[in-house]
Amino acid sequence: MEQRILPAALIAKATASAARDHPSFNGWWRHGQLEQAEAVHLGIITSLRDGGLVALVVGNADEKDLATLMDELRDLVSRARGNRLRSSDVSDATLSVTNLGERGVDAVHGVIHPPQVALVGFGRIRERPAVVEGTVIGRPLVTATLAADHRASDGHVGARFLATIEASLQAPEEL
Amino acid sequence: MSRDDAARTILAIIVGVAPEVGVEFVDDDADFVDELDLDSMDFLNVVIGVSERTGIAIPERDYDAIRRFGDFVSYLVSADAPSH
Repeated sequence: MEQRILPAALIAKATASAARDHPSFNGWWRHGQLEQAEAVHLGIITSLRDGGLVALVVGNADEKDLATLMDELRDLVSRARGNRLRSSDVSDATLSVTNLGERGVDAVHGVIHPPQVALVGFGRIRERPAVVEGTVIGRPLVTATLAADHRASDGHVGARFLATIEASLQAPEEL
Repeated sequence: MSRDDAARTILAIIVGVAPEVGVEFVDDDADFVDELDLDSMDFLNVVIGVSERTGIAIPERDYDAIRRFGDFVSYLVSADAPSH
């Protein structure tokens, strides 16, 4: 059966790839300093049906192709819903992403999960007016936000991080 | 495949994907997202699970047509019917 790539996988891959290029958002604040992680282990915030949240970890997320990442995400979510997670599934995230679009939220003002130093939030994908070459047309748009530890980074590099994510999502075929 | 067989198959997969869904309350008009509170990942897992269980290919272009339980049942019955 043909594989469907959900927006969640695109968002995860774009964020993981950007984290590789912007290491000040990939790691932990520990012992008074930023410990940059060597790998990108992306924590994907997921709701549990009986309440609460869990961060499902996709290891080396930046190195995986979309199809593999999608399969892994499906498996993790499936096991989370069925209370079959392993400790390795929720350990050692180097940064996190939360996607509340399906809950009807346009934008997320997230909070980092210490000692991680960054969390990227995505709202829902909506058709909105956009100006393209001087003409107003409908385009699917999403709002991405960044919550970050100011001891490890600042708004300038944060803006560049988000710009990298945006560039990736504008060209999903290259993810 | 009868409608009963198709319904049982889908419900069995739903139970595996979303154990807390009260399948006894699922009727033909039940929308997987709006009423059963499945998100896109859950719905995808249901569709893939049903496809693997039945051997019936369900292309992505058909997903919108099977978002209600009764429509999904009809889809499976039709897809499994012998062609002439």
